[in-house]
Amino acid sequence: MKHLLFDNLHVGLGNVLDLRSQQSAMTAGNIANTDTPNYKAKFIPFDELLKTTMGTDDMAMSRTRTAHLESMQGTADDPAIEEIEAPPWALDGNSVSLEREMVRLKSNALQYSTITRGITKRLSMLRFVIDSKR
Amino acid sequence: MNILDTLRISASGLTAQRVRLQAISSNMANARSTRTDEGTPYRRQMPVFQAVKANSFGSELAQQLSRVEVVEVERSEAPFREVFDPGHPDADEDGYVKYPNVDILHEMVDLMNTSRTYEANSNVTETTYKMANQALELGR
Repeated sequence: MKHLLFDNLHVGLGNVLDLRSQQSAMTAGNIANTDTPNYKAKFIPFDELLKTTMGTDDMAMSRTRTAHLESMQGTADDPAIEEIEAPPWALDGNSVSLEREMVRLKSNALQYSTITRGITKRLSMLRFVIDSKR
Repeated sequence: MNILDTLRISASGLTAQRVRLQAISSNMANARSTRTDEGTPYRRQMPVFQAVKANSFGSELAQQLSRVEVVEVERSEAPFREVFDPGHPDADEDGYVKYPNVDILHEMVDLMNTSRTYEANSNVTETTYKMANQALELGR
């Protein structure tokens, strides 16, 4: 049965929020190691992950079995991580680009705040329904 | 995996850059020091950075995270700069004085690089705080 209050989208948003905060830790690690020889920049490929975390493209609206919920959970704990290879001209073998990491940091924070706002909005809709009197 | 991990990682970056800054200031201050305790002219100091796992347990992702650590401060073995100055008290028989293997230009570039990286790390800290606050305000 579909959960009325906290449905797939809600769980999915929570997962994405989790991933976003993990991505920010990863970016922090990359920036901290800007000058470490042979360090390879790491990141979470979100485009591919979004599909598995949120279900299919149609946001799993048509799912009828509770078992399908499983496919939406758990992926946030163990996302695939990609490493960036150092360009041939990087003499110290380090592949961190400060510019790229800063952009990733800021866009990640923006996505994070977008999602928190989305969750807040959903909760306030629920609260509106709960509070409304006939 | 929590917000403190992120802060700890960027704090390690800040510390590393601060150590680097100290080495640079020491190099610049001693650019003309012809005497040290070891008896040689001053040798350029170079901090060596190493990526260290931030978290040895937890999810696969948490184990991929690394903070940075200064493992040692190496002394440069590059040859000393020799300047002809017979009047100098440390000049050898031929009148040459050995000056430290410090290149001011090199140090200046390093200095700029350090301050930029420091800035980036403090920026991460700030962004992390912002995100944490947004998480606290969920549902308000």
